[in-house]
Amino acid sequence: MKKILVLMLTILLAFSLVGCGDAKETEKTSGSASSDKSSKDSDVAYVKEKGTLVIGITDFAPMDYKDDNGEWIGFDADMAKAFAKSLGVKAEFVEIDWDNKIMELDGKTIDCVWNGMTLTDEVTSSMACSNAYCNNAQIVIVPSDKADKYQDKDSLSDLSFAVEAGSAGEEQVSTLGLKYTAVKAQADALMEVAAGTSDAAVIDSLMAAAMVGEGTSYTDLTYTVGLNNEEYGVGFRKGSDLVSALNDFFAASYADESMQKCAETYGVQAAVIKQ
Amino acid sequence: MEQILEQLPIVLKALNVGFLQTLKLFFVTLIGAFPLGLLIAFGSMSHFKPLSYFTKMIVWIIRGTPLMIQLLIIYYFPGLVLHNPIWGGGETGRFVAASVSFILNYACYFSEIYRGGIQGVPVGQEEAGLVLGMTKGQIFVKITLLQMIKRIVPPMSNEIITLVKDTSLARIIALQEIIWAGQAFMKGSQGISGAIWPLFFTAIYYLICNGILTILLGRLEKKLDYFK
Repeated sequence: MKKILVLMLTILLAFSLVGCGDAKETEKTSGSASSDKSSKDSDVAYVKEKGTLVIGITDFAPMDYKDDNGEWIGFDADMAKAFAKSLGVKAEFVEIDWDNKIMELDGKTIDCVWNGMTLTDEVTSSMACSNAYCNNAQIVIVPSDKADKYQDKDSLSDLSFAVEAGSAGEEQVSTLGLKYTAVKAQADALMEVAAGTSDAAVIDSLMAAAMVGEGTSYTDLTYTVGLNNEEYGVGFRKGSDLVSALNDFFAASYADESMQKCAETYGVQAAVIKQ
Repeated sequence: MEQILEQLPIVLKALNVGFLQTLKLFFVTLIGAFPLGLLIAFGSMSHFKPLSYFTKMIVWIIRGTPLMIQLLIIYYFPGLVLHNPIWGGGETGRFVAASVSFILNYACYFSEIYRGGIQGVPVGQEEAGLVLGMTKGQIFVKITLLQMIKRIVPPMSNEIITLVKDTSLARIIALQEIIWAGQAFMKGSQGISGAIWPLFFTAIYYLICNGILTILLGRLEKKLDYFK
């Protein structure tokens, strides 16, 4: 009995090893075969072959958010749907962990990051990015009762900041030489300020408009100084030809004003950049 | 307070959806890890040295690395290194990858508990079986197994309760379990933005779930109390 058991287990292990080896081999061959044909040369062909454009997003009103029916809408979501339609494929939205966006792209679990992404050095060096399509700014959030004291950049030096790790906000405070703690998300940065563990936070202006003030948990917070001006873009895998396809699409939809109309629906028309 | 009451229905609905995902991952992990753990336990107790060394090495690797890293490797490795994203980008793919990681991880912990339980059964029991002319298989199924189960209930309860909470790690590969659902309202979701309380509220779900589990596992322990 014991011998039989040992034999069975050994066979099972051998099989699983062989299985792994096999799987890896076929993966490699099929992977390289398909990438030879399409994905390495042309992301457009890869996406068309699949029939879906997988768009990595986070829940981020007014760019990407769910309506009452659970459908993804927003300025970015609507433009992404239109872009997918122009390619003749289906748009599939997938919520991702923002920290892992580059892994998601390179691992092909998504085809693009289209979620009000600020074009920072980190982003442009690790992804192929489209032309900028929307303006944004990094602004300082402080408790309302202290807002008067911090209306210009010079007054910020004695504050301790909370910023999202790897965000454009972090870039700003570190170039200004301010004291800061990096936290996981912009929302966490706000919670730090509300809890008093940090004096101030730096977040996106488009986001601040939605997250701070009346009707939120942060009625005691307000925004003061804008630290910079920056731009949103769409990120693809490095060397992807979807970039030029999207730039052409942006130019066309700006020319026929469908882009501006879409922006008006979500109240961001003032931020749209001429294509 | 009024604001919270207004938000409550929307938040509860979202948290319920998230918690369903948590429970799904929990049960799938248990169903997969119970038998796989036994198989690994046999492997590491085997007298066939290469097999036992091999299984012990697997157990060492899985127990010696954080589950969060295992999740990242299992989900992203196929696409990043092998250029074949076998899991796909959708929700199902993320759930399957998370299940595989959790089953592997928990099977390794279970296997050590099983091993302790099996080896804790006195040798006399096995010898008695041999005297009665039973085969090794009969001895295991009819004599050792039940005594082992009785012995492992308390340590297994510990692991099972830990598993309920560990499922929250799956959010690293964007599996939308309850913590994810709660956090979504901090940033803004379904018209509620900048709300902190839903995240903390998720603790109540875990508490209730673990309360029920504690009671059930306690009953099982009592039921098995009729023999020593």
